[in-house]
Formats: sequence, structure tokens, C-alpha cells
Amino acid sequence: MSLLGYDVNFGHREAVSLINSVKYSEKQIGYLAVSLLLIEHDEYTRAVLSTLRRDIHDPNEWIVCVALNAISNITFGGIAELLTEDIVVQLLSPAASIFIKKKCALCLLRLLRRAPDAVDAGQWAAKIVPYLGHPDIGVTLSVASLVTALAQQFPEETRKAASVAIHRLKAVVIDNDYPVDYVYYKVPAPWLQIKLLRLLQYFPAPESAELRALLMSILRHIINVSQEVPRELQQMDAQYSILFEAINLGIHLDIDQGLMRECAVLLGRFITSRETNVRYLGLETMAHLAAYIDTLDPIKTYQGVIVRSLRDRDVSVRRRALDLLYSMCDVDTARGIVSELLRHMAVSDFALREEMALKVAILTEKYATEYSWYVDVMMRLVSLAGDHMGDEVWHRIVQVVLANEELQLYSCKIALQTLRAPVCHESAFKVSAYVLGEFGHLIANAQDSAPIDQLKALQARMPATSQAARAVALTTVAKFVNLFPEIKTLCLRVLDRYRGALDAELQQRACEYYALATVESEDLLPTVLEEMPPFPERQSALMSRLLKREGDTEDQRTWVYGGREINRERNLQKAGKSSTSLVSADKEEREEEEALSPGENNNAASVAYAKTATTLQSADDVRQKQNAGVVQEEKDDATTGLTPEEQERITKSKRHYARLLWEGDGILFDGDEIQVGVVAQYKPPAGRIGIFLGNKSTAPIYDISIHAFVRDDDGATAEMTTAPPATDEKGALGIQQAAGQEALPSSLMPLGQARLFFDVACRRVFATPPTLRIAYTMAGAPTVSELQLPITMGHFIDPVTIPVSDFFARWKQLGDSAGIGEAQNVLKTPFLAADTVEAGQWMRNVIGGMGFALIHGADPEPDNLVGVGIATTEGSGRFGCLLRVEPKALHGLTRVTIRATNPDVARVVATNINMVFGSR
Amino acid sequence: MRIRFILVQNRQGKTRLEKWYGNYSEQERNKLKAEVHRTVASRDQKHQSNFVEFHNHRIIYRRYAGLFFCFCVDTNDNELACLEAIHLFVEILDSYHGN
Repeated sequence: MSLLGYDVNFGHREAVSLINSVKYSEKQIGYLAVSLLLIEHDEYTRAVLSTLRRDIHDPNEWIVCVALNAISNITFGGIAELLTEDIVVQLLSPAASIFIKKKCALCLLRLLRRAPDAVDAGQWAAKIVPYLGHPDIGVTLSVASLVTALAQQFPEETRKAASVAIHRLKAVVIDNDYPVDYVYYKVPAPWLQIKLLRLLQYFPAPESAELRALLMSILRHIINVSQEVPRELQQMDAQYSILFEAINLGIHLDIDQGLMRECAVLLGRFITSRETNVRYLGLETMAHLAAYIDTLDPIKTYQGVIVRSLRDRDVSVRRRALDLLYSMCDVDTARGIVSELLRHMAVSDFALREEMALKVAILTEKYATEYSWYVDVMMRLVSLAGDHMGDEVWHRIVQVVLANEELQLYSCKIALQTLRAPVCHESAFKVSAYVLGEFGHLIANAQDSAPIDQLKALQARMPATSQAARAVALTTVAKFVNLFPEIKTLCLRVLDRYRGALDAELQQRACEYYALATVESEDLLPTVLEEMPPFPERQSALMSRLLKREGDTEDQRTWVYGGREINRERNLQKAGKSSTSLVSADKEEREEEEALSPGENNNAASVAYAKTATTLQSADDVRQKQNAGVVQEEKDDATTGLTPEEQERITKSKRHYARLLWEGDGILFDGDEIQVGVVAQYKPPAGRIGIFLGNKSTAPIYDISIHAFVRDDDGATAEMTTAPPATDEKGALGIQQAAGQEALPSSLMPLGQARLFFDVACRRVFATPPTLRIAYTMAGAPTVSELQLPITMGHFIDPVTIPVSDFFARWKQLGDSAGIGEAQNVLKTPFLAADTVEAGQWMRNVIGGMGFALIHGADPEPDNLVGVGIATTEGSGRFGCLLRVEPKALHGLTRVTIRATNPDVARVVATNINMVFGSR
Repeated sequence: MRIRFILVQNRQGKTRLEKWYGNYSEQERNKLKAEVHRTVASRDQKHQSNFVEFHNHRIIYRRYAGLFFCFCVDTNDNELACLEAIHLFVEILDSYHGN
């Protein structure tokens, strides 16, 4: 880089040396420079990081603060992993001053928001929670923000936060225990109250009756205090802000219907208030209420007011009124509300019109009692708001018409009417053309709607419409050729005219349809232009469009607009994902009996497969069920209590897994929606495994993410999808995404396949196979599946051929010396009895696939198989491993003995072989 | 509560103070500043609320003499709390500069 011919550099090195200085002012400037100049892979990063780490623990308060400031401003995630521990230590240390504690909490919040994966907050989240009750309000404020963010990611670890928050609220609100500094226009610590109330919304209602009573009294106190009318604007605003938050919390808790009704009355008063802000908030909170209240009657009493609000001067208030009407719509009021909305659509401004159209479309579809009403409303909607909506609305209309036979006749009539009306909007034209093309024959016999009339109506409109509409009309004309042979010549004339059209699309369509119509064959035309089958059931594009608008918030929304059903769905999904008992959203009742009785604890492997058979599961359970990661012998009784399909699926999963232990490639999981295949290549101590995800369903899947991680034997997770830390005590097995490959696609079509490669490195002997977590969203429902990856110690074994005579010498050597591992099992192998030769061949294949070299003639028994292999690890060296399989066909038993220089290796290989033989 | 950016603009649209809490490119920033001004300045004081929908977020603003103080927050945040935060901010600025 140069400036006016002179070389320019930005003084990175000087900045780093400034940081290291002892004087505060120099340090300050140095950190300022560093926070602006530093980028991720700079060579000075390491120096900066070590200085930061030293400064965080400095006894001098100012230095700690300037270091924390710098950390908050530096923008990359690598910092988070390395320094989080230090910051947490400072936060929790009793010696740290209030000031430092506050800064630490906020710094952690920043890091958490920027790099949620890198900051492994699960470990220290629980320790932070008690600080919510800290006497100093500043600390409580900062910690409250941090805990709110944590509560969304780690609801389990932060569970206690609810009770601490309630007690703190009580202290401020009821006991009046607060320092004078924090009073804002006579309201004590308003922001703290709001933060605590908001935090409580991320937890379910407290279980203990005492806490619940306390919470209710707090809410009641807040409501009472706000009854007195304050004089100053600021005081009123502060009081109302707390009040609204409290009402939101009350609605969320959903404990007492009496409270709900009271809230409804309060809110009713607010919507009629003269203050615009209050009206706005009242409408919004009422929409929240509509999502949780049992009956909508208290709200319906205010319907008139709400409808009038649609004409409010403020556009924001109008929006809220629209959302509220949308949320409070139910079967009785649907008609009224929809007609009101349609009436307003004509006069409302453009920005609002699009949203209104979307909502009207969704409402009409949901609550249509008579089909004629549906079609009328939709056609009117399209004519009114046509310009402002996307194509989704008329697509949806067509989808619905195709799916419902009763609609078709009536919609044809309306379609023809629309075409004849003096003003016909674009989208209305498209819909009418499509409908007539499909179902014109239904009204062909009626007077005035003979085929020739339909064609004439269509033709009359065509010149005035846009290119896209004309394209649809041409398709309709072609369909008419098929439907109504009597007007074939007329249709052909129309097509012929468009063959010379200037627009490429129209010309192409016309030529192709013309050719299709004039070809000799009898069957071609009817087959091609056969009636469209109804579209497959999928989530309405309109709903997804609506939901997209709600998504973009940093803290999760606790509720969405749309009334009870959609909020209930959301809560069920969330409960399914995070509950500690396996409650799946669509299989609640069945799962409750089968869910985890202690008897299933003894078999880690089969329960792990049980997890893969259901769609939603919790990370906690898999951890609980995996005991030391050692896969024990199969016990089929652990799977009793499940339905036959589930059982069959579990046995199939076991078989898949077992096969992958000795075969490199194959299917890992074959479910209803997805299929996961594995391709693996090992060069001990490293390996490469490719995961192929196939979409078996008929709907596309979105938001795919695939993570592989290793759970330690004591249950801690060591997730390594990014570069692993330099000193790695925990990871005996490293697994990370292979570098330089393209990212997963954002969506996967039916029958499509996505793939991801992982590099595996065996550092020491490990017992726990890694887990693969696949998350995706299909038809609006997010799903998480965890599968055990077939990567075991056995895969890192290389075959080694030794002379025949040496084998038993080594065998005895390993058997005699102490501290050497042997694992011996006797297995039931019924397949031996069936066909010894074929079984023998199969066993040979298995042993060869598991990395052992078969030594022929070493064992005096001809049927016995012996093999030799070497297990290679990066850190712990190599282990020799000897294998002896002694099948006894007569008894249907096999004795498998493994002797290795490391007892873990022997154990793991033995269990693998047990699993493979057992699953045959 | 997540604040995305803070803008202080005068009635003509000139930005007096800006602070961005997020990754916005230079171009995006200019576009946002112009849009915020357009949205906020055209609102009538008496009958309009202090909250505007903006691009999937919300702008909470208040007018102090000739300056508009605008905070851009998420849709699920407490609006009145933010409004009071603006007022507190202005009061602190006032007292710090000796008004």
C-alpha cells in the first residue's frame, strides 16, 4: 500500500508494543489501535492474546477494564475460545470489584452473541446464576442480560435463575429495598424490573407453589401501582413499560384465567386511551393475549374498537390492529373480520396492503366454512390487492382449488364472470385462465358458458394483459384443444397467431402447443394435457412468508402473531426438543409409556438406536444412556415396550451400524424422511469419513446442519467442528470437517443428496464413538437426529502378516505378562449351525474388514481363525493386536479372544466383533 | 434488548451522531441513514406514536428540539423501556455538558 508514493503501514507492531507497556495511557492507546486494526490471522494475534490474558488477571482495576473493552470490540471468534475461561474466572472471583464484574458480564455477553459455538457456556452458566441476586443493581443488570442470553441456549443449566430473579424482583418491588441512586422519576430501577420480568418469560411457570404465589403477588403489586395516574410523562412511561412487561409475563405464565381476564380489561382501557403509544402497546399486548387465553370473548368485546383502529392516524397502530385482528380471528368472527379487512384494503396505504392481503388469504383458507365464500373472497382479494402481492397468493388459490373437488364447479363460474367483468386484474386473469383450463368442462353445458364463450372471453382479455398472463392464457387455450375438440380449429387459430409473437416465451409456447395439437398421434395430446393432480400437501407458501418476517430477533421471541394454534405448535416443538423425557411432538402418548425406564440403562447401544428411530431427541438423554461408551452385548429385552415398527427399525439400525464396523461404505440410518450413508477410508492414525444425507420425503428440507462431536466418557462434550485447541487433554479422537470443501446446500429437494466430509484423527485409544448430529427443518418442523458414527478403535487397525510359527509364541507372551489386555467372549452364533462354510467365509470377511491379517495354518484346528493387526494412534503409539476366533458349529457357539498390548484396544475390538456377530 | 444502531439526526437529515452495533458496510450505512430520516422526519408529532416498523426491526425515536434520537431495536423488545433509555441518555448528556 502506498500513499502519494510513500509506503504506508499501520504500525501493528508499535501497537502491540504499546499494549505491553506499563503506563496506563500508553496501554489505552495501544488497545484502541489493536481493537481497530486486528484481524483474525494476523501474525501478531498470538502476542496480543497473551498480553490480553495477562492483563485480565492484573490486580490493577483500570488495566483489567481496558483489556475487557478491547476484547469486546475485537470481532472474531477465535478470541472467544481462548479467553472465555479467564473472563469467567474474573467474574466469579470474590476479589474483583463491582466495576470489573459488570464489565466481565457484558463482555461475556458480547462474546456469546458473536460466537455462540466457540464459547462453551454450558460449564459456567450455572455458576453465574447466583449473581442475579447480587445486592448491587449494576451487577444484577449486567448479569441479567447475560443470563437471558444463556437461558435461551442452555435452559437446563440456568433453571435456577427463575427463582433468583423472582426473589430479586420481590426485593425491589415489594420490599422497597433499593439504593436511592436507581430511582428514575419515582420508579425504582425500571430497567432492572423489565429485564427480570423478561428473563422470567424464557422459563416455564415455577413449580413450587410458594414461588408461584410470590410471583403473583409481585404482578399484582405492579398492576396496583400503575392504577394511580402519574403526572410526568417520564414517570408514566416508566410505569407503563413495567406494567406491559408484567402483563406479558402474566400471559406467558398462563396460570390463572382470572388474571387473564383482568388483563384483558386493562388492555381494553389502553386501546381506547388518547396516547398513541399506549394504544400501540395495548394492541400488541392484546395480540399476545389472544395467543394464550382460553376463550376469545373478552377480546371480542373490543372488536369494534380494534376495527376502528384500522383507520388510526398512525401507521404503526394500524399495523398492530391488523396483527391483532389476525390473531383473534376464529370461526365465528372470521367472516366479519375478513369483510372488514377487505373493505379497508381499498383505502389503506400500499405498505400495509401487502401484509393485509397475505393475512386475509391465510385467514380465509383457515376458516372457510362455505366454499363459495372462499372463492368469492379470494377473487375479490386478488382484484383489490393484486399489484401488491407476490405470485404466492394466486398460486395458493390454484393449489386449493385443485385439492378440493367441491370448489371446482363454483370457481369455474366465478372465473368466467371475472373474465367478463369490465376491469380484470392481472392475477385474477391468471387464476381464471388456469381454472377454466383445468375445469372448463364442468360448466360447458350451462347456457352462456359454452366452450366457445369461454374462449371468446379469454381472447377478449388477452391483448390487454402482460406477457406472463398471456403465457398462462396460451396454456389454457392448448388445454381447450384437448378438452373441447369442437372448437379445435378456433383454438388453433389463436395459437397460430401467437407463433409469430415477438416475445420469445410466447412464441415458444405457441409453437410447441400448435405442434402438439396438430400431431397425428391420438394419445399424445390427452396425455400431456391431462388434468393436473392436486399439489402435494406442504406448508402454505403464505404461512412461510408470514413467519419469515418474525424471525430476525437476537433474543428468541416467546410468542408469534397468529393466535392460539400456531403458538401451541411452537411450544410443542420446543418442549419436544428440550425435555428430558423423550416426548416427541407427534408421538406424545405412545412415547410416554416407552420412555426411559431405568431398565434400558444397561444397554447403551440399543437405546442409542432407539433415539435414531424417533425424530426429536434431547442431548441429555443420549449422554445419560451412554455408560462409559462401551457398547455391551445386545440384550433384546431392552427394546420391549416399543411398537413392532419401532422395534424393527431399531434392529435394522443396529444391523446397519454393525455392518459399518467392518465394511467401509454403507447406509448408517434409513428413516422415513432422511437416509444417511457413510463412506469411509482409513489410513491409521487418520481417516476420512463422508456423510451422505439423502432426502427420502416428498417435501424439500431446509436449514441443514451436520455436526460431528465426541462425547467424553464422563459426559462432557468436546465439540470440534473448528480448529481444535492446541493442548487438548480431552480429545482422544479428533473429528472435524474436512477443509476446502463446499458448504452444505441451504435446501435439499426430494430425492436430492448432500454430502460432507470429516477428517478423523486417532490421538489416543478411545472408547466412545463420536456422535453425528443432523438438524434440519421440514415443512416448518425442525428435527434433530443424533446417530452414533461407526468410528471405533477397530478402524485404526492395520493388518500385519507374521510367520505362522510366530503367532502362538506371541499369543502366549501376551497371555503371560501382566498389564496386557485380553478380552474373551463366548457368543451365540446360530448362523454357524445353518451353513458352516458360508459362515466361515463371512467371518473371514469380517475379520479382514476389521483390519486383521488372517494367518492361515497357524492354529491346529482347521476351523479356527487367527488374525494379527496393529492399531496406530497419533499420540500413544502403536499397539499390537492378536485375534482368535474359535467357532463350534455343533453347539452354535463361538469363542472370540483378543489379546493386545493395550487393554482398551482389546476391549473395544472385542465388543465390536460381538456386535457384528450378534447382528448377523 | 438488542440495539442494532443509534442515530441522532437533525431535521434536514444530517447525521450528528451514529453508532453501529453490527456488521454494516459503508454503503449499507448510508442507505440506512437516508431511510431512517425519510421514515422518521415525515411523521407528525401529535398523532403518531414513537415507534416505527423498519425492515424487520423497529425504530424508536424521540424528538428533542431540532434533533431526532433514533434507536433501532428488535421487534420483541420493550418499546417504552427503550424510549425511557433515550430520555435517560439525553438527560445524562445534558448534565455532563452542564446544561
